[in-house]
Amino acid sequence: MLKTLVIVSHPTVEESGSQQFLIQSITSPPLEQVTLHVIEQAYPDGQIDVKKEQQLLKDHDRILFQFPFYWYSSPPLLKQWQDEVLTEHFAFGYRGNKLKGKEFGLILSVGIAEKEYQSGGQEGYSMSELTKPYQALARKTQMTYLKPLVIYQFAYLSEQAKMEVLVKYQQYLTLAKPDSLKSREEWIKKELNAIDYETLPVENASFVIEQVIELLEDNRMELDELRMHIDNFHD
Amino acid sequence: MEEKEWATQELKRLFEKSQDYKQKALLQAAVTLLDEQETRKEQLQGQLDGTLWSPGNWKS
Repeated sequence: MLKTLVIVSHPTVEESGSQQFLIQSITSPPLEQVTLHVIEQAYPDGQIDVKKEQQLLKDHDRILFQFPFYWYSSPPLLKQWQDEVLTEHFAFGYRGNKLKGKEFGLILSVGIAEKEYQSGGQEGYSMSELTKPYQALARKTQMTYLKPLVIYQFAYLSEQAKMEVLVKYQQYLTLAKPDSLKSREEWIKKELNAIDYETLPVENASFVIEQVIELLEDNRMELDELRMHIDNFHD
Repeated sequence: MEEKEWATQELKRLFEKSQDYKQKALLQAAVTLLDEQETRKEQLQGQLDGTLWSPGNWKS
C-alpha cells in the first residue's frame, strides 16, 4: 500500500480554517496509510531533528508539502526544514539517492483567485512557473513531481466546492493515479462499500448504495468496451 | 440513462439525510462521478463514430 507523508507547515495551524478542514478529513478517523506531520507543532523551538526527519522520508513513498503560499514560497520553518533535512549524500550528490523513485507533490492554499495566475493576470505568472523551485527539488532528488493540488480562496468556496476539495484531497493523498477516472471510480466504490449507516438514517440506504456501485461498474464495462473498439481500429 | 437519473436522485436524497460531513462529500462525489462517466461515454462514442467514418480506416 502506498504510504504518504504529509508535511504541513503553517505558523498558526490551529487558527487556519483551510488547514483544519484538510487535516480533519484525514484524522477523524485516521487514514492508516497517511502520516500527518505538522512541523511547527513538532518543533516549536525550531530545532529540527534531522535524523528523525530523514527516517520519516525513507519510510514513505509519497512526500507532500502542504502550506499556505506566502510570497510565492513556503512559511519559514519549511524552508529551514529543506535546508537542514535534504542534505548532500542523503537527498543528492554522492550516494545521495535516498529519495530516488518516490513521489513529491504540493498542496497549496492560495488567497488569490486562480484566474490571476497567468500572463496578463494580476499575479502575472502561472502556478507552474511560481513553483519551479519545488519542481527542481524533486528533479535533483530524483523524485517524480506530481501535479499540485492548489486550493484557491478557500474561505470563499461554496459548501459544495469545499466538499469537492475534501474528496480531491483524500484522493491526492491515497490514490496511485489521483487524476484517472478509473482509479477515482475504485476509490468511490471502496468508500461507498465502507459507508457507515449510523449517520445515514434512511430505510433503503444500503440498497441505493448497492445499486450505485453496480451502475458505476456497468458504466466502467461500457467505457472499457468502447475503448477496446477504438483501439482495434488503430491496430 | 433512466438508471442514472434514479441513482442521482437517490444519492441526493441520501445526501440530505446524511448526518456526517465527510459522508455528504462522498455522496456528492458519487453523483459527480456518474456524470463524469456519462460524459466520457459520450466522448468515446463520438470518437468511435468518427473513427468509423474516417476514410483513412476504409481499408478493404
